[in-house]
Amino acid sequence: MTQLIIKYRWYIIISCLLFGISFACLIPLSKTDPEIRNYIPAGMKSRIETDKIEKEFGVQDMVMLLFQDSSIITHDNLEKIKEIDRDISTMSDIASRISPYTVKNIISSEGMMKVDPMIRSIPTDAEEISALKKDILENRFARGIVVSSDMTAAAITATIDNPGNERATLNKIDSVIAAHPGDARVLKGGLPYIRQHIMKDVRRDAVILVPLALLIMLLVLKLTLGEWKSVMMPFTVVLLSTCVSMGLIPLLGWKMSIITLLVPVILIGVANNYGIYLVARFQEISLSHAGYSRDQILKELTGSLNMPILFSGLTTIAGILGLLTHSIIPARQVGVLAATGVTIALLMSLSFIPALIFTRKKGYTAVNKGKTASKTISRLTDFLSDIIIKHPGRVIIISCLLTLMISSGIFLLKTETNQENYFPKNNPVKQASELINTKFGGSQTISVMVAGDIKDPAIMNGIDNVTRQVEKMKGVGQVFSISQAVREMSKALYTPGEDGYDRIPATAEGIAQMFELYNMSGDPADFKQLMNPENNKAHILIRLSDPRKGIISNIRNRISELVAKIPAEVTVGGYAIIMADFARSIIRGQISSLLFALITVALLLTIIFRSFKGGLIGSIPLAASILILFGFMGYAGIALDSATALLSSIMIGVGVDFTIQYIWCFNINIRKGLSYEESTRVSLSTIGRSILINAFSVMAGFSALIFSGFTSIRFFGYLVIISIGSCLIGAIVLIPAIIVWFRPRFVENDMSNSKKKKYEKRDSDINAPSAAFNGLRPAAGCRKDNE
Amino acid sequence: MTNSMSATLSLSIMEKNGSVRNRTISMVSKSFPEGVEKRFIRFIDPVDVRGTAMLIFDNTSSADEMWIFLPALKKTRRIVSSEKGKSFMSSEFSNADMSSPSLSDFTNKHIGSSGNDNQWVIESIPVSQDKADEYGYSRKITYFSMDKCQVNKMEFYNFDNELFKVIEIKSVHPLPEGKYMILEMTAINLLTGRKSTITFTRIADNPKIDDSVFTIQNLER
Repeated sequence: MTQLIIKYRWYIIISCLLFGISFACLIPLSKTDPEIRNYIPAGMKSRIETDKIEKEFGVQDMVMLLFQDSSIITHDNLEKIKEIDRDISTMSDIASRISPYTVKNIISSEGMMKVDPMIRSIPTDAEEISALKKDILENRFARGIVVSSDMTAAAITATIDNPGNERATLNKIDSVIAAHPGDARVLKGGLPYIRQHIMKDVRRDAVILVPLALLIMLLVLKLTLGEWKSVMMPFTVVLLSTCVSMGLIPLLGWKMSIITLLVPVILIGVANNYGIYLVARFQEISLSHAGYSRDQILKELTGSLNMPILFSGLTTIAGILGLLTHSIIPARQVGVLAATGVTIALLMSLSFIPALIFTRKKGYTAVNKGKTASKTISRLTDFLSDIIIKHPGRVIIISCLLTLMISSGIFLLKTETNQENYFPKNNPVKQASELINTKFGGSQTISVMVAGDIKDPAIMNGIDNVTRQVEKMKGVGQVFSISQAVREMSKALYTPGEDGYDRIPATAEGIAQMFELYNMSGDPADFKQLMNPENNKAHILIRLSDPRKGIISNIRNRISELVAKIPAEVTVGGYAIIMADFARSIIRGQISSLLFALITVALLLTIIFRSFKGGLIGSIPLAASILILFGFMGYAGIALDSATALLSSIMIGVGVDFTIQYIWCFNINIRKGLSYEESTRVSLSTIGRSILINAFSVMAGFSALIFSGFTSIRFFGYLVIISIGSCLIGAIVLIPAIIVWFRPRFVENDMSNSKKKKYEKRDSDINAPSAAFNGLRPAAGCRKDNE
Repeated sequence: MTNSMSATLSLSIMEKNGSVRNRTISMVSKSFPEGVEKRFIRFIDPVDVRGTAMLIFDNTSSADEMWIFLPALKKTRRIVSSEKGKSFMSSEFSNADMSSPSLSDFTNKHIGSSGNDNQWVIESIPVSQDKADEYGYSRKITYFSMDKCQVNKMEFYNFDNELFKVIEIKSVHPLPEGKYMILEMTAINLLTGRKSTITFTRIADNPKIDDSVFTIQNLER
């Protein structure tokens, strides 16, 4: 292998560069998909049902323009709303619209039914204003729908019929708003605006986070590796592997989502590890063996490091591949992209970096690499050794107690699929969402489609029953259905006390004639959202003021009970239902990816340590870290969402590396005849220090995420730090204590193969001055120079 | 128009997806002094609305008046509405399309190729924003045949000055004094893809119709 690298070094270097650059050229072709419903497989029932309803009644994602003032019912505010409403009504890409100016008053008096706009003319004096306020409060189609009950806000709600270019429609609406300034504050909300903000923020994050993470990484590399030539080797591997992963997105026909943003950051945090080990070891060999030829240095380097790097890489890939079992589509994509990136980084680290090292004519000469930091780390590892060797039992018990204590928070863990919560509190989209949820019945919807003869009183009464029952439920803001319109018409036809007043007519003819009456008196388009023109499909639209998963579940169950009594085909869908299924997918995906990753990693550890017990013990830090992570999330109120659901797999992939390295190093030391205590002390002072630095560099890479525009990505950043931190403690505190206390026999087995032994033999001959690389970055695995 | 008229009217509404709904009504109308035109409509088809009857007074100087009788509910209601732009029986035709336009509501002028090819082309713009809101369009272009002096086509523009509706007169029934009555016309909404066709059959020109037909008592008969 080394000979091949030496022989074909330029081919390797040039082909790796060309490979990365060619994928980099594809990156600008990437498109963003802000639609969270596309995260769910198209075959999922809720998506199929929702598509069916939307095919008949159009997309129910509402744009909501909110006008806020201490009193919204003033001449100037109403004038402004009227002008904006008028301009929006003329836009051909607006499918339907509800505003204070579209709401009708249906009045019955002296045998006369009058259907007229609620606002025929803008009130000019106090008397007219108070009359209008009274009309609003008495009109069930106005109160809390177009004007808030406290008269401090008004809303224009519209659905867009421009599937190819929603953005163009939103831009037109923005221009309309800008053209009509006034006192009332205008907020824009609803899913189309949320999607627009996600698009903007994904682009912003891509532009800010990736360079920031690269900069942090460059800084960490400079601090640890010193000279720029050494820094650029692992850094180039990171860049190239990231380019390949990101270039794969358009190549595979995928789109960028909020969570695919994590791929470059994951790679920046993870893909440099192998390169760092190699470069650090190269520096060490160069310093300790000034007389070595380039061939000798390279053989020494690859011989001592290929195996542990390969094992580390494989376990990382296995952990990340756990994401493939996720039902969330972008989670699977992140799994493929990150695993591909890590594989490329692994392959390049084992070929491209040695080839680059060989091209260096001059060996490495030491530069100052931060001895203060090194001393601090040494003091820390010495302190840990003392504690672990003296009180291994206590360390285990305290670790177990702490893990149990924190993990009890798992019972408080929630799932979050509400896109509104992606944004921080001060974001205008979040503010609009809060206003919509508190004063206008919410923007997220559940849709119930009833297919049958809608004029059949049995079906109409069924619709009415669902409407009235669901209206009373917790979390329901507004319900709209054709039965409400029929009831309103009955109020206009009959006087209170008459049999038919506020009732559904008893015959199909009665209902049909009521529809005809409305056709003559009102605008049939008013029903467009509630019933199709053929009167064989009706739509019950439920707006949610509290779109939490549990509430959606309750409403869904209640609807299922109620629609069972309707003699018609009923379809239940809507964005909120998709989101409830999405939450379930997250939990299922979390469990399946965790199980897959844990089992695969345990199997790999069993193979690496050649012991089943070794596989189990090696998995302890991961299992504990997973419990701590979820427990912490539960206590901190951080929900499991589409981004945080990826954490555990990534953590398994990255965190297991530390345990392998520690046990591998301990094994070498114990087989050299050192006692358990001595092996612990030596292992901690060498590889322990290396693990610490690696963990810090991974955390540093991920820390860029805390500057994301999305709350959940920020949380992801914080949580990575916690989970890598707990993996770190597991590997350098808990595992050493378990080994010292229980003395499992597998740690004394020969874990290396014959080839490895050969390199170890050579390694021992190197007699490097220090076990750990002189400063911050020792090589992976463990060397015999600690003797 | 004549003093009185009776006809059977078939209205066919075709949705974008191809589904069709049909309505058949019988209609009698008569002109009264002071320009009031009264119409009496009774539904024949579909079955579930059969017997539903309407009485409409097209007033020239005040809002139109309309009464409707719903036989299944045994109720008569007066409907008051000032919006002429509203749909006629949920078709693409508006109430305004079903009656003679009020010339004073518009500024009319010849445009473009008017006068050529045996055709007048007249642009009609509502005199005020309120009138435009009432009729539901910002301008209308009417194509008249010069020799027959009859309307062939009308194009309606929305408030974005976008052509959104076209009405074509397919056939007419000639009346004395150079007047005529439309037999078939089609309205196509270019934005929604819906198409409505109205066909008049069994036309009786100037039949003798008693004034008592146009009363609320007659509605409930």
